[in-house]
Amino acid sequence: MSEEKKELITTEDAIEGRREFLKNVCLTGATALVAGPASVSAAVEAASADADTTVAEFFQGHFVLMSDVEKEKAIERLEKRYTAKYEKKTTVSNVPAPEDTLFGYALDISKCIGCRRCVHACVDENNQSRNDPEVQWIQVMKIPKGNFAFSADKLEKGYPETSQFGDYGVQVGGNAHTRVGGIGTEEAQSHFDDLVTPDNDHFYVPVQCQQCEKPPCVKACPVRATFRDSAGVVLIDYNWCIGCRMCQLACPYQARRFNWGEPNLPKEEMNPHTHYFGNRPRMRGVMEKCTFCAQRTREGRNPACLEACPVGARKFGNLLDPESEVRKILATKRVFRFKEEFGTYPKFFYYVG
Amino acid sequence: MRKIVSFAADFGSYAIKGGPKYYAWLLFLIGIILVGCFTAYRQLTEGLILTGATDQIPMELFFANFIFTAHVAAAAVLVVAPGYFYHRKDMKELAVIGEIVAMVFVATGITFILFHMGRPDRLWHMVPGIGFLNFPNSMLVYDTIVLNVYLFLNMAGITYLLYKKYIGEFGTKALARWFTPIIYLAIVWGPLIHICTAFVLSSNARITSWATAVLPFGFLSMAGASGPSLIILIFLLIRKHTKLQINDSVIDLLSTIIGWSLGIIMLVFAAEIFSVLYSSAEHSASLKFSMFGHNGLNGYVPWFWGTMIALTGSFIAITIPRIRKSYDRWLPVLCVVIFMAILIEKPMILVFPAFSPSPMGEYTEYQPTMIEYFNVLMVWAMGFLSLTLIVKGAIGILTGEVKHHKAPAHKPEVHASTVPSLD
Amino acid sequence: MHSLITPTKFAVLALCGLLAISLGLYKSAESAEQMSAKTQNEPLVTDCYESREGYTTVTRVEGAVPQYGYPNIKCSQKTGAVLWYGDPYEGTVPMGEMPEITDATRGNYANAVVKPREPRLMYFNMGPDGCKTCHDGKTVPAPKNKKPRELAMHQDIVENSMQLMHGRGSLWCLDCHSATDRNKLENRQGVQIGFNQPQRLCGTCHGELYIDWRAGIHGKRTGDWAANGKKRWWVCTECHNPHTVQVNRFNPIKQEAPPALPRGMKNADHERMPHGEH
Repeated sequence: MSEEKKELITTEDAIEGRREFLKNVCLTGATALVAGPASVSAAVEAASADADTTVAEFFQGHFVLMSDVEKEKAIERLEKRYTAKYEKKTTVSNVPAPEDTLFGYALDISKCIGCRRCVHACVDENNQSRNDPEVQWIQVMKIPKGNFAFSADKLEKGYPETSQFGDYGVQVGGNAHTRVGGIGTEEAQSHFDDLVTPDNDHFYVPVQCQQCEKPPCVKACPVRATFRDSAGVVLIDYNWCIGCRMCQLACPYQARRFNWGEPNLPKEEMNPHTHYFGNRPRMRGVMEKCTFCAQRTREGRNPACLEACPVGARKFGNLLDPESEVRKILATKRVFRFKEEFGTYPKFFYYVG
Repeated sequence: MRKIVSFAADFGSYAIKGGPKYYAWLLFLIGIILVGCFTAYRQLTEGLILTGATDQIPMELFFANFIFTAHVAAAAVLVVAPGYFYHRKDMKELAVIGEIVAMVFVATGITFILFHMGRPDRLWHMVPGIGFLNFPNSMLVYDTIVLNVYLFLNMAGITYLLYKKYIGEFGTKALARWFTPIIYLAIVWGPLIHICTAFVLSSNARITSWATAVLPFGFLSMAGASGPSLIILIFLLIRKHTKLQINDSVIDLLSTIIGWSLGIIMLVFAAEIFSVLYSSAEHSASLKFSMFGHNGLNGYVPWFWGTMIALTGSFIAITIPRIRKSYDRWLPVLCVVIFMAILIEKPMILVFPAFSPSPMGEYTEYQPTMIEYFNVLMVWAMGFLSLTLIVKGAIGILTGEVKHHKAPAHKPEVHASTVPSLD
Repeated sequence: MHSLITPTKFAVLALCGLLAISLGLYKSAESAEQMSAKTQNEPLVTDCYESREGYTTVTRVEGAVPQYGYPNIKCSQKTGAVLWYGDPYEGTVPMGEMPEITDATRGNYANAVVKPREPRLMYFNMGPDGCKTCHDGKTVPAPKNKKPRELAMHQDIVENSMQLMHGRGSLWCLDCHSATDRNKLENRQGVQIGFNQPQRLCGTCHGELYIDWRAGIHGKRTGDWAANGKKRWWVCTECHNPHTVQVNRFNPIKQEAPPALPRGMKNADHERMPHGEH
């Protein structure tokens, strides 16, 4: 076990050597916090950190366009602020997307049981606001399989519907006026609250950011705060977003979530392993969404929703690698994209396993 | 330079002079603004969570009202255009009032957008140079540019005209060289701001009730009905309470425009309702929700039918000459009805129901909060306050009551009062 | 100027009224907010199950990942299910050898780890020698053949030993469990297989699923996403109980909490329409 951890640390250091320095800085800060009279020094530290960073953060440019020195400073600022605010050593990573990689996701709708563990795992991992406003990046739809119970009443309902003007007795109704599955959303429920799941008359479709190749949100953003990275993941610079919500209007998957109020993230639940474009705590008035767990996937690990799924319906991998699980699924299973008619080319695939 | 200072001083001092009713009106607006300052402060410090907006319906009353102010601002060209394109002498003098309406309501709309933004403090990210614009992709960028240019055009035109009149140098030469090109550009720009605003909405393919080619036409026709309604009300008030004379022919032309616009609105609605409901396919869900509700969730239904009845009724009423000519009684009432119907149409038919069903098939009803109402009221009050003051000052200059002490002695012609009625 | 007083007074009064009304509204709104914000001081659920209740369990340990100050897991406070892994390889061992498959979907198991099943088996852990503590040939005599017979023990695992669920009567215990070494499983060719590698036994019959499982399509894998990365492969019996396939295989499990209703919505009743009526 200890070997594995060492391994994790060394790979990380190989990826980004300078993070060690930042870690030391944070460690010193954390030690100072512990060493001093705890409550007073923490409060002072928090206040000064806030004052320092508020101004500097305000004048900060678009992160992608910053020089390396500016990036380092911006990250140092954030780490200092988060460490003081959440009272635990917080790292903000700036690991770039892995090369020769195009992230893809596949979800087996024949296996999904709608237990919503992915939804809550995502919240545990990504530091969303817990309540008021509650922010969840994954939404699970419950879709009826179809009900063909016979009803004599329905025989009265011809098509086109009978009217007093002209129904010459040749129009006969039927009992098939019912939706049957598919992933039409006409009768989808999102707020279902059952004791146990799955319900045999329904199936379940979780929806999160589909990481489109032609993302309408990126096109709509007036300041390019949201963009597609080299691994195909659509990311947001939370410090550049102006909160106009044009991306939310444009997204055909309703995958984007807005911080309507100050995020409510308890200290003890905060995940201190963060990425600048990933799960670092957000501020009020900015957009956020699924990043395929940038802080994990850029360091090689699977997203949190995948690890939570009790039925193994979720698969993640590199679309450029024919040996990856996702490519094998694309090669052997019946795969489709959600709302393909919008021409957004999602890299999130649904399949029937 | 001194002339400019005295222009501002004279303009301002005339604008705040008036009778008790005038003061009561100003105080009423200031009262609303003061309450609004508090609610605006709360929204700015606590965020949009104080409004009714959610991830299901992310566009609030501010956005709906912004579209409406764009209606009114764009419609102001309907006062300007007849004077300059068709050389209606009775309207040429009044063009500046139209310009003022346009300027004030563009500014009001921009204020609504500031309230709509999650991070108004980061507005500088949109300033080219220090921030950057996602040009030419984002429709909001186009809208920002056209709105600001329109604001600037009107501001420049109004200031130039009023200042030149004030110092008594407003000749035809100066008019031809500076003012007329600006006015012509502003006339073209008026519909442009509106088309861009419509495109901000209709560029979103997922909101099926917006992503329709008929949207800009609907917007322009609603502009043609709501804007002139407000302008008729303003003209009737001006005519009653100030020395500036406005002929019946002006009012008649505007009510004719309203009539035609209402007709086009009805055609647009009918075309939309038919093409969506006949096939009753996926795109009909949102309209059906507006018209009939969904599984008992029918909060929008009365608003839909109420607005439809109001618009149809107004159309019928305005075709009746006796009502149209009843300047003291029925016409103002009709104008208020049309104005309010189109104002209410924006959130209750255009914006809120468009988000149901959501991409996940959710149906949601929007519940505006008190803070949201107060903020909307405040922005309107700010708009009407500046409209009142600027129009009042402008009237002083147009009637010659306000002029520079060195200006030529003769009173500038008030064309409106000298031209015979055209009908 | 005298006439000016009345409208001014009126306006001031109206202003005061507006202020009073608005203040009242905020107060009521705020108190409503405070009412709705419940402070949750319930004790943290720390004993959690992985796939479903009755299978693998994990206990939360604070600071188990010192690099980030993580706990090893985070659990659902509603259902007790493990939601989040601080260390996906906690408690795993290398998977060991796998028989070669030379088709296109061969798995890359060089870096594969599994959570050993043996510590999870109730009877296996009853004595120092595992199942052999009893099945040593003396305490419980060695069986003569694989014919179904009434069992004196283990009714908690198989209710009716004459009609086993798995295979609907066509299989019997000793078709999978080694007759000679009860600490092992045994396939039809007599190859003994450890409890930690049930896939090698299950795969002999469930070939299609086995191929998908090796390819990473069926079943769950956590850890690295790279095809050749280190992954925890979840083995068959971490999700499926081979003894109760017909009753327990697709039994529903507890559901996590639904998302909050959009602000302003009282309920989601309009969603729950009996379908098929239009």
